[in-house]
Amino acid sequence: MAEPILLAEQLRKTFIAKKGMGPKAVVEAVRGVDLRVGAGEVFGLLGPNGAGKTTTMRMLCTLLPPSGGSGRIAGFDLIRDQAEVRKRIGYVSQKGGMERVATGRENLLLQAQLYGMSRRQAVERVNVILARLKIGEFADRKTNTYSGGQRRIFDLASGIIHSPPLLFLDEPTTGLDPQSRSRVWEEVGRLHGEGATIFLTTHYLEEADALCDRVAIVDRGQVVAHGTPAELKRLVGGDTIALGFASADHAARARNVLLHSVKELVIDERALRLTVEQGDERLPIILAALNAAQLPVLTVALSRPTLDQVFLKLTGRSLTAAEPAEDAA
Amino acid sequence: MIRDAWLILKHELLVTAREPFWIFFGLFQPVVYLLLFAPFLSGIADAPGFPSENSIQFFAPGLLMMNALFQAGFAGFGLIEKLETGFLERLRVTPIDRLALVLGFVLVSTITVLVQSVLLVLAALPFGLHISLVGALLLLVLLVLVAITMGSISYALALIVKDPGILAGVTNFFILPVLLLSGIMLPIAFGPPLLQWVAAVNPLYYASDAARALLEGRLGDGSIPIAFASFVVLAALTLLWFIRTTREAVA
Ligand SMILES: Nc1ncnc2c1ncn2[C@@H]1O[C@H](COP(=O)(O)OP(=O)(O)OP(=O)(O)O)[C@@H](O)[C@H]1O
Ligand SMILES: [Mg+2]
Repeated sequence: MAEPILLAEQLRKTFIAKKGMGPKAVVEAVRGVDLRVGAGEVFGLLGPNGAGKTTTMRMLCTLLPPSGGSGRIAGFDLIRDQAEVRKRIGYVSQKGGMERVATGRENLLLQAQLYGMSRRQAVERVNVILARLKIGEFADRKTNTYSGGQRRIFDLASGIIHSPPLLFLDEPTTGLDPQSRSRVWEEVGRLHGEGATIFLTTHYLEEADALCDRVAIVDRGQVVAHGTPAELKRLVGGDTIALGFASADHAARARNVLLHSVKELVIDERALRLTVEQGDERLPIILAALNAAQLPVLTVALSRPTLDQVFLKLTGRSLTAAEPAEDAA
Repeated sequence: MIRDAWLILKHELLVTAREPFWIFFGLFQPVVYLLLFAPFLSGIADAPGFPSENSIQFFAPGLLMMNALFQAGFAGFGLIEKLETGFLERLRVTPIDRLALVLGFVLVSTITVLVQSVLLVLAALPFGLHISLVGALLLLVLLVLVAITMGSISYALALIVKDPGILAGVTNFFILPVLLLSGIMLPIAFGPPLLQWVAAVNPLYYASDAARALLEGRLGDGSIPIAFASFVVLAALTLLWFIRTTREAVA
């Protein structure tokens, strides 16, 4: 593999947080993370709250000096060549970072000019981005009047205003309605199509699945798994189909019909739970088979593997119950 | 670098101008002093040892110093807000020089102080303040130096403590004694010898003396070179400190 556009080797970050006059709290936020992202890839960093996603990203953006390890962006060292790194990246933080009293347009104009565009170029570029993200309508209002979702789209706009070859997005879709979310997805897809590399964090496997070529799952500051979304899903064995029948007898007979064609099958009184790959394609076939066997299906549910399931499989802990890493120390 | 500083300055001025309320709100305190405190001084203006012929001539220059001290001394709070909203982080990830950031912010608080100072002088004229034009212009320069010093300190502290509550505590802890021992409120000559000794190492003491001398047009007063020299040095040192904290401590 050629020099990757993003390379992290044993990246670490330890925070020493003082609690008033009391004892020091040592937080090992990132504990030896290795990452390689090739040019043109969409790469996702997944993990629960407090896993170290933001900390990792901030180190990669030169905002936070690593406590150990090293990293390179397009061949430039994170510490020695900060200026060169900064020229090549865009970063949309979890918090966003719009000046509240200024309008969205003013914020974007400043951003564009700080990346070296002339006033005229900036005005033009901002118009292009506003139209593309369909946010021109409220561009001339102060950003403190925006809804959470509107602000988030503006945050995205500020990250792409200078068309960076490498774009960092920290939870770009958290708190967005489906429409805004798909707008973000669309934009990520377009940038990807234009050859940009995108490094994003998310809590949703479904989102990683839709957007990312490869993902890494982090937990307590370490990468616990990486691969394509399909590979990760294979870890939990695929999609789940739940079928409900009128009686336990029907369920048992359905089980016999399907036994040979599915990976895993669990029977629970009048319900059957099947694990299959490509559940959406398999479901009609399964229903047809049951219909042919004269076994009426009363209820059907298809669920795709969730990050929670992958995570449970990998760490033995459920995401929803995962406590923040080392916080109590 | 200059261009980046200018862009940030312009943006910040725009933001400040959008909420002009704050400029006037900041002026509220000195104006209240002018209206409610200065009249009390008129009673003691005849007291032996009182340095000026009338109370407004004594008090208005002090108010200008006080305004610079407080206005720039609390500038850090704005920066903490920018830290919290992520605005600062957004600037830091752009390729601009850290120096541009520093200059942009320091200039904003300095320009605010300048505007306020001019407004304050104008407000004091009807109260019988006499000014020498040359002296007043030099005084503005001195006020700029004080504003740079206080602004740099406040900004650097803001980046270090990162918490508005702590910043308020630290700022008040330092600013009040400095203010009281500067002779801004009352002539230091009225105080006991010990306090006069302490005041003698307070650069603001010379600055407030110099402010009076400048406004009255006594350009040869000995406090003026001391005030300028000490605040040139202080402004440079604090600015360097702010630059260093910006380069290192911002997380
Ligand atoms: N400045 C800091 N000082 C002390 N501890 C910190 C600091 N920043 C982050 N941490 C700690 O480091 C750990 C990782 O935080 P980080 O923000 O990277 O998590 P995250 O994966 O982005 O979580 P989320 O999904 O909630 O955004 C957490 O335990 C957090 O409390
Ligand atoms: Mg985060």
